[in-house]
Amino acid sequence: MPIYKAPLDDVRFVLDTIVGKDSLSALPGYEDATPDLIDQVLTEGAKLCEEVLFPLNQSGDAEGCTYENGVVRTPKGFKEAYTQYAEGGWIGLSCDPAYGGQGLPKLVNTLLEEFVCSANLSFGMYPGLSLGAYNALSLYGSDALKARFLPKLVEGTWSGTMCLTEPHSGTDLGIIRTKAVPADDDSYRITGTKIFISAGEHDLTENILHLVLARLPDAPAGTKGISLFLVPKFIPNDDGTPGKRNGVACGSIEHKMGIKASSTCVMNFDDATGWLVGEPHKGMRAMFVMMNAARLAVGIQGMGLGEVAYQNAVAYAKERLQGRSLKGTKFPDKPADPIIVHPDVRRNLMTGKAYIEGSRALAALVGYQLDVAEKHADTRVRQEADEFVQLMTPIVKALMTDIGFEVANIAVQVHGGHGFIWETGVEQYVRDARIAQIYEGTNGIQALDLVGRKMGQDMGRLLRRFFHPVQAELTAALDDDSLAELAGPLAKAFGKLQQATALIAQKGMKDPEEAGAAATDYLRLFGLVALGWMWLRMAKAASAKLAAGEGDPAFLNAKLKTAAFFTAKLLPQVNTLFLTIMAGAKPLMDMEVDAF
Amino acid sequence: MDSKRAEIKRAAVIGAGVMGSGIAAHFANAGIPVVLLDIVAKNSDDRSAIAKGAVERMLKTEPAAFMHKRNAKLVTPGNLEDDIGLLADVDWIVEAIIEDKALKADLYKRIDAARKPGSVVSSNTSTIPLHMLTEGQSDAFRRDFLITHFFNPPRYMRLLELVTSPDTRTDAAELIADVCDRRLGKGVVRCKDTPGFIANRIGVFWIQAAINAAVEQGISVEEADAIGGRPMGIPKTGIFGLMDLVGLDLMPHIARSMLATLPENDAYRAESREHPVIAKLIADGYTGRKGKGGFYRVNKAGGGRVKEAVDLKTGAFRPAERPKPDAVAAAGKDLRALAEHDSPGGRFARSVLVKTLAYAASLVPDIADSITAVDEGMRLGYNWRQGPFELIDRIGTAAFAELCRSVGVPVPALVEQAAGRPFYRVEGGKLQALSVAGEYETVARPDGVLLLSDIKRASKPVWKNGSASLWDIGDGVLCVEFTSKMNALDGDIMAAYQKAMKLIGDGKGAWKALVIHNEADNFSVGANLGLAMFVINIGLWPAIEEMVETGQATYRALKYAPFPVVAAPSGMALGGGCEILLHSDHVQAHAETYIGLVEVGVGLIPGWGGCTEMLARSAANPKIPRGPMPALAPVFETISTAKVAKSAAEAKDLLYLRASDGITMNRDRLLADAKAKALELAENYTPPEKPSYVLAGPGGKAALDMFVHGFRLQGKATPHDAVVCDHLARVLTGGDADFTQPVGEEHLLELERDAFMALVREPGTIDRIEHMLTTGKPLRN
Repeated sequence: MPIYKAPLDDVRFVLDTIVGKDSLSALPGYEDATPDLIDQVLTEGAKLCEEVLFPLNQSGDAEGCTYENGVVRTPKGFKEAYTQYAEGGWIGLSCDPAYGGQGLPKLVNTLLEEFVCSANLSFGMYPGLSLGAYNALSLYGSDALKARFLPKLVEGTWSGTMCLTEPHSGTDLGIIRTKAVPADDDSYRITGTKIFISAGEHDLTENILHLVLARLPDAPAGTKGISLFLVPKFIPNDDGTPGKRNGVACGSIEHKMGIKASSTCVMNFDDATGWLVGEPHKGMRAMFVMMNAARLAVGIQGMGLGEVAYQNAVAYAKERLQGRSLKGTKFPDKPADPIIVHPDVRRNLMTGKAYIEGSRALAALVGYQLDVAEKHADTRVRQEADEFVQLMTPIVKALMTDIGFEVANIAVQVHGGHGFIWETGVEQYVRDARIAQIYEGTNGIQALDLVGRKMGQDMGRLLRRFFHPVQAELTAALDDDSLAELAGPLAKAFGKLQQATALIAQKGMKDPEEAGAAATDYLRLFGLVALGWMWLRMAKAASAKLAAGEGDPAFLNAKLKTAAFFTAKLLPQVNTLFLTIMAGAKPLMDMEVDAF
Repeated sequence: MDSKRAEIKRAAVIGAGVMGSGIAAHFANAGIPVVLLDIVAKNSDDRSAIAKGAVERMLKTEPAAFMHKRNAKLVTPGNLEDDIGLLADVDWIVEAIIEDKALKADLYKRIDAARKPGSVVSSNTSTIPLHMLTEGQSDAFRRDFLITHFFNPPRYMRLLELVTSPDTRTDAAELIADVCDRRLGKGVVRCKDTPGFIANRIGVFWIQAAINAAVEQGISVEEADAIGGRPMGIPKTGIFGLMDLVGLDLMPHIARSMLATLPENDAYRAESREHPVIAKLIADGYTGRKGKGGFYRVNKAGGGRVKEAVDLKTGAFRPAERPKPDAVAAAGKDLRALAEHDSPGGRFARSVLVKTLAYAASLVPDIADSITAVDEGMRLGYNWRQGPFELIDRIGTAAFAELCRSVGVPVPALVEQAAGRPFYRVEGGKLQALSVAGEYETVARPDGVLLLSDIKRASKPVWKNGSASLWDIGDGVLCVEFTSKMNALDGDIMAAYQKAMKLIGDGKGAWKALVIHNEADNFSVGANLGLAMFVINIGLWPAIEEMVETGQATYRALKYAPFPVVAAPSGMALGGGCEILLHSDHVQAHAETYIGLVEVGVGLIPGWGGCTEMLARSAANPKIPRGPMPALAPVFETISTAKVAKSAAEAKDLLYLRASDGITMNRDRLLADAKAKALELAENYTPPEKPSYVLAGPGGKAALDMFVHGFRLQGKATPHDAVVCDHLARVLTGGDADFTQPVGEEHLLELERDAFMALVREPGTIDRIEHMLTTGKPLRN
C-alpha cells in the first residue's frame, strides 16, 4: 500500500524564503492572509488530502468511472469525499467572498492543489475544472451570469467543464465546427460534438456547467471567429434549483491509460441553450487569459505526482533489504543493508528530491507573482509580475510535468519488480502523470509558445523579468564565499541560456523552423537554470537560517546538500542541451518524408 | 552651350502669398538673392508690409521654408509701386499672384517695362494655359516667358513642371531648367501646355475618383485610406488624409477651373461631382487641418484627444478606427491581387486604380511626350512611390487591360499597344521605357546624374551581406550601401566596412576611394535599437560592449584608412548614422539632410566616437575661444539636448558638418558630387593626423554639474536627463584628466565606452529605449 504525507515543512520553507513571510498579506485585499492563517489552512487541507482523498486513489484507479445510458458514475467513495471537500469550502478557497469564496490568495490554492494532486489526481480534476470555469466566468461573464452561476460553482453544488476539443480539432482550435445560433431571447442554441471533456458528466453534483467554444453564424474564419458560451446541463429555475434538462448529453466515456477515476467524456450538444460569455468572436482571448492559471495548475499536477512517487521510493529504499553496501556492511544487525546505501539508488532518489523541491519553489514563485499581477497597488509592479508569469507559464507547465513523469518512473525503478505490480501503487503514478505532459497544450506546444510567442514579444521584454533578477542575484552570490560553489556553475549555465536565447532569436527570425527545432531543448535548458536559481535562493536562505540558529538543522542541511547535488549532477545537462540547440534544424528536417 | 554659362545671379518673385514667398525663400536657400514684391499694403504704415510680413511668418512656421535663418537676409521685400525698379537688376522673375488672367496680363506689362532685356519671366500658374497668359504681350516678353510650376511647399516638394510655348527661347528654357535642377534641386519635368499639366491633372482626377468610390460604395474614410495609401505606394495619409492637408474648400475651385479648360470628352467630366456630405463639411468649417479639421478631426471634448473620422453616410463624426481590410491583408504587396480581390475593399481598390491609371495612360502624349515624365511627375509632385505606368506594370499590362474591361473602362491606347509587354524593362543593365510609338527606349538621365539604382540595375554587387552591399560606382570608387530594415546599423554593416577596407587596401590598387551612400528616404536613423533591446533584456552585456568596441574600431579605421572616405547622406542621419559622417574625410550632404546625435533621447551617449570627434571639431573651430571649457560647452549642449539639424546648412552651425563639407541641392546629383570629391581627395591622399585633446578634468565636470543642476531646478531636465548628463559630462571633461596634460583620443574613447556600458544598464535608459521602440517617441523620465 502506498503512503503519502503532505510536505508541509517544505511548503513552509518555500513560503518563508522564496515568497517571503509577509509578502502575501502585504498585497491589498489579502491583509487577512497572515502566515498563521495560511499555515492553519494548509495544515487542515493536508489532513483532508491524507485522510480522505488519498485512501480513494488506488481504489478509484481499480474501479474507474462507469457509463450507462448517458449516466456516469464515479468510483465508490468519491461522492462522499466530494461532499466533504465542498462543504469544507475548499473549492472556493481563493474565490471572491462576494460569491461565497474564502478570498485567500491564489497561491494558497496552488499550494493546496499540490496536496490534492499527490493524494488523488483523478479526484482533483472535478473541483479543478470548476475553478477553471469560475475563472472564465468571473473574468468575462456578464453580471447576470455571474450572479446566477458563480455561487453554485463556489459552494460546489454545481461543477464546471471546459469544452474545447472536437474529434478533428485539438491543438488547432481554429477549425472547430460547433455552432451557436442566436435565439429569440438573449440566449443561443449550441450544436456540435466535443471530446476529451474532463468531468463532462458525473454523479458528484446536481448540475454541470459547460463552457463551450463555438462559432457564431457570421464568425470570421480561424481563431478570430470563436466565441465562448455557458451551457448548463440543467437550465436553472429562478429559485436556483436545476430545472429543465438541456440538450447536452454524454455519449460515452474514454478508457484511458491513467486518471481513471476522472470521467473523460464525449459531449453531444444538440440545440442546447447557452449564453455568450464575453464578446462575440473573442472566445480565444478569454481562454488565453485563463491559460496562465490552468497551465500552472497542470504543472502542479506533475509535481504533485512526482512528490508522492518520491515519498514511496524513499520509504521502499529504506526498508528493502538486499545485499550489502559496496564498501562493506553498513547494517550488521540486519540480514542485508537497505538499498538506500547504493550510489545508483541514491542517484535516483536525489534526482527526485532535487527536481521536486526545486519545482515547488518555482511554482510558488510563479503562483505568488500571479497574485501580485492581480492585486499589487502599483500598476508597474503588476505589469512586471504579469510578464514574469506569462514567460514562466510554458516553462512551469512543460518542465514540471516532464519532471513529474520522470520522478514517477524513477520511483518504479527504485521499487524493482514490485514497482511493476499494481498493488504496490507506484505504477499508477506513471500512468496518471503521463496525461499532464499532453493536455492543456502538449509540452511541445509549450516549447513553441516559449520560443515563438514569449521570447520575441516586445523585443524580449518578457525575458527581462527573468534574466535581470537572476543576473543580479548571481552577481551578488558570486561575491559570497559560502555560495560560490553553487553560483559559479549556475553563472556558467546562465551564460549558456543567454547565448542560446540570442542564437534562437537570431536564427528564428530568419527561419522559424530553427526556433521550432530548438524549442523543447531550449525550454528544458531554461527550466534547469530556473531550478538552479531556486536552489541558489534556497541554499542562501538555509545558510542564513543555520547561521542564525533558526529552524531545524537537519532539514536545512538537507537543503544545502540537495542544492549541491542539483548543481553538480543535474544542472550540467545544460551543456548537452546547448550543443543540441546549436546543432540547428537540419538534422531534424533533412530526411525526406518517404524515408521515414 | 552659351546658355548653360548664363547665370541667374539675382531673381525676383512677385506675389508674397504662400507659394510666392516659399519660392523666394527657396531662391535664398540656393544662395540666390531675391526680390519679393507684393501690392502696396493698405492698412499699414509700411507700404511693403505684405512682403515683409511673409518673410517674418516664414521665419516662424514649421516645417521651415528657409534652410537657415540667415537666408532670410537674401530676400529683399518690397512693393510693386515703389520697388518695381528692382526688377531691372534680376535675371529671372517668377510671377506667383492669384489665378486671374486680367490681373496677370496687367502685371506682365509692368514687369516687361521694368525688367532688363533678356531676363526670363515665368508664371507659377497651375490652371491658366500659357498661350492665354502671353496674349497681348510684347514679342520680347513672349520669347522670354515660360511656366515654372512649383509644388507646395516649394522647399520640400521636388517637382517642377516646366511649360514652354513655341515662342519661348530655347536657351531661356534650358537656363531655367538647369537652374531649377542644379541650384534649386528640383526634378524638372517638361509638360505640354494643357490644363493642370501632369501632376494635378492626374492627381485631381485620382482624388475625385477615390472620393466617389468611397461615398458610392459605402467605404469608410479610414478604410479608403488604408487601401488607397500604403498598399498602392502612396503616403499613408491616403486620399482623405491628403484632402485634409490640402484643404477641402480648395476642391470645388480646382474642379471649376479644370472643367472650364478641359477638353469636352475628358473623363474627368464624368467623374466630377459634388457630394452633399463634403459640401456640408466645408459649410460647417471643416475645411481640413487649417480649419476645425476635415474628414478627420481631433475631438478635445472633456480634456481628451480622440481622433475622429466623419461618417460619409451621415456626416456625423465618430471615433476613428484602424481597419485592416481583408483585401489588403490577403494581397500583401501584390497590387494585382488587391485590385482583383473579391470584397468591398477590393472593389474600391479596383475602381480607383483602374480609373486613375487608365486616365493617366490615356493622356500620353497629350500632356507629355513620355510615360517617364508622367511617372516622374506623380512621384515628385504627389509623393507616390511609383508613377501610374509603374503601377500598371505591377499589375501587368495584360491583367490591367482585363481589369479595364471588367469595370467598363476603355482600355487606353498605350496599354493596347503594349500588348502584354511591360512599360518598363531592363535591357543590358539599362532601364528602358516604351515610347509613344511602342518601342523601348533607354531612359536618359540628365547630364551628371549618377543614381545608385541605375548602377544596381546594370551590375552585381562587389560583395554583400544581410545589411549592406558594396558597389562599383566606376573610376575605382567603391560605394557602401545600407540595405538593412530602416537602414539600422548592425554588425553586418560594420563587416561591410571592414570588407571595403580590405578590398581598397592602400588605395593604390584597383580601388581608390570609398563613398557611403544610399537612396532610401533616410540615410540611417542609427544603430539597430530593437536588436540592442533584446540583448539588454537577456542581460548579455558583453555583446553590447562588443557592439560598441566594434563600432569604435571600425569608424576609427575608416577615419585613418590610407584612402579617402566620403559620405553622401540624405534624409535623417541620426546617432550612429551621424557618427559615420563625423569620421568621414568629407561629407557631401543633400541639402535636405537632418543630422543629429540623438542618443540622449534613449538614455545613452554617442559611443562610436561621436563625443570624441565633436570635441576635436569644437576645439579646432577658430570661432570658439581657446581652452577646454569653451570648446566643450557647445558640444555638451548639442549632445545633451539631442539636437537635430533641420537642414545641411544648420548642421554646419552645430558642427555636425565642417565648413568644408559640401551641400548638393539636387538629390539625384548627390552621388556624382560625392564621387567627384572622393576622386579629388584620392590624388595625393594622406590620412588625417591624430588630434590631441586638452580636457577640462574634474573642475570642468563640476561646472557642468552645476549647469545641469540648474536645469533640473528649472524643470528643463528630467531626473534621468541628469543621470545621462552626468556620464556625458564625465566623458567630455576627460574623467580625471589634467588640463595641463594633453591626451590622445584613446582616452576619450575608453570613457565613451565606459559611460555607454554604465548607462545601458540603467533602468531609466532601458525604459527610454523600450518607449522609443514601442511608441516611436522619446520618454521624458
